[in-house]
Amino acid sequence: MGKTLRFDSPSFGRRLKGMLGVDFYRLFHTPMYYIFLAIAAIIPAMILGTSGIPDPQTGVAATPLYTNVWHIIAAEEPLYVVSDIAEYANMDMVFIFGGIMVSIFIGHDYKSGYVKQLFTTHPKKQDYMMSKTITCAFAMACMCVTYLIGAVAAGLLTGGSFQVDPLALLCAVLGKMIMSLGWASLYTFLNIIFRKYFGVSIASSFFFGTGILIIGAAAIVGNSAWLNVFLYGSSVYACLSSTPVTVLVCLVCSVVWALVYNVLGTRILSKCDVY
Amino acid sequence: MDAIEIKGLTKNYGQKQALKGLDMTVPVGSIYGLIGENGSGKSTTEKLICGLIQPNGGSIRLFGRPHTDPDVRARMGVLIESPGCFPNYTVWNNMMLQAANLGIKNADVEVRKVLKLVRMEGAAGNKYKNCSLGMKQRIGIAFALLGSPELLILDEPINGLDVDGMRIMREVLVDITKEGRCTVVISSHVLGELEKIATHYGIVRGGRMIRQMTAKELDESCRTYVALKTGQMSRSKALLGCRYSRVEEDDDGYLRVYDDVEPERIVSYLYENGIVINEIRTAKISLEEYYNDLMKEGK
Repeated sequence: MGKTLRFDSPSFGRRLKGMLGVDFYRLFHTPMYYIFLAIAAIIPAMILGTSGIPDPQTGVAATPLYTNVWHIIAAEEPLYVVSDIAEYANMDMVFIFGGIMVSIFIGHDYKSGYVKQLFTTHPKKQDYMMSKTITCAFAMACMCVTYLIGAVAAGLLTGGSFQVDPLALLCAVLGKMIMSLGWASLYTFLNIIFRKYFGVSIASSFFFGTGILIIGAAAIVGNSAWLNVFLYGSSVYACLSSTPVTVLVCLVCSVVWALVYNVLGTRILSKCDVY
Repeated sequence: MDAIEIKGLTKNYGQKQALKGLDMTVPVGSIYGLIGENGSGKSTTEKLICGLIQPNGGSIRLFGRPHTDPDVRARMGVLIESPGCFPNYTVWNNMMLQAANLGIKNADVEVRKVLKLVRMEGAAGNKYKNCSLGMKQRIGIAFALLGSPELLILDEPINGLDVDGMRIMREVLVDITKEGRCTVVISSHVLGELEKIATHYGIVRGGRMIRQMTAKELDESCRTYVALKTGQMSRSKALLGCRYSRVEEDDDGYLRVYDDVEPERIVSYLYENGIVINEIRTAKISLEEYYNDLMKEGK
């Protein structure tokens, strides 16, 4: 019994660096990630490409969904109340598919027993929440980029209009990319709650990702700026009339919700059976 | 200071009470064999020690600190059921990921070292999903050994191991516990194998610790018996049964007399009754037999 026991406190930075390294390695080595990047690129291309195709029977061209290519990125104004699919289908759809991706990513942690191995060693529950949030936010931000590329490519091929205020477009895209952080934290949180039920995790991520609750609320209260308090609201707020203030609103909303969901998720993981 | 000190531990799964006030003390540097029937609470106890599940009551202290202390957890190595590996990654990549999580410097050197220790260096390039059950168990041990832990918690690590694998496991565990370098808690149903390495035992039944003892105490508790073979086994059994309280025939065809008796007395008694003994010896009951007796007593 001659050995003296030494307990070194691994620093927060060291712990997070290790976990992020693992999560990013997994992300880049998972085919699912590239599939979702491709899906994000294909969706706007498909919508723009098929919109306005002539009817094969009559030969009459349908009215195109979008008169401007950038409308597939965001609406001209923040439209919380949607009246048709064109008002709804924009870059915010990335967050729906992103939710499914996060569910699969985190679900695999449980399926493989990785969390079991992880939580018996020094990483704290808070590190896990943060690492997943950051990794998944990065993945969703990348999906936003491929969505943009898909939209531009399809716009060029279909010969659509590209008229836009470049600063507003930049702010809109930046705002939506920043919102990835908040969405990722929400999905991580949902997957922590439903960690034992993979199907429910995916379904709940999809449900919240559609923003149906905010759309429903908007139908009652109208296009109120108060809806920007919520993730979907701020995502919609990043539109083609955005300014740097919009980016700031998105940043505040995203960071605040990320903190809230991280604290709640950490608390749940600390109080409940992990595995 | 003990490596593990558990007092009054309780755990409920819904209506079912898995642990009913379990006490357990594991000295530093010991190999602690945790024994019990299926559903007795062994795995639950180990999961609680590892922090995977939350207790409903009681306390767990590791090296004098609360078991939730991350500094203590950093000194633990764990194998619960199976290693938490990603099936599509190679053994090497899985090990490197775990090393990254543990924040191990010179991870490749450390990973190579533990893989060599469990004789798995040749399989490092194999995908985890293509490994056999025995290989997976060895990888699990390698996982647990990463970072030179002070405390190893192993749940059924011998399951699926072949004879060679068991020998390797034995050698590794004995080696790492030398000079109190590491404390090991190991649950297993393979009591014969456990008997070869354990220095301490804890027997769990119905969510309670019914007995804790050292290997020496177990040795003293294990009763001596006389085993013999004669040409007339059934008649010998009947005769000995009249004289001694417990006479049983074992699986190897020996008659066992468990009473405290000298073999010479049995020889002369049977000889007087015209029975010649072909073979006779004294022996001690094994851990498995001791355990079975204890379980029977409880029922």
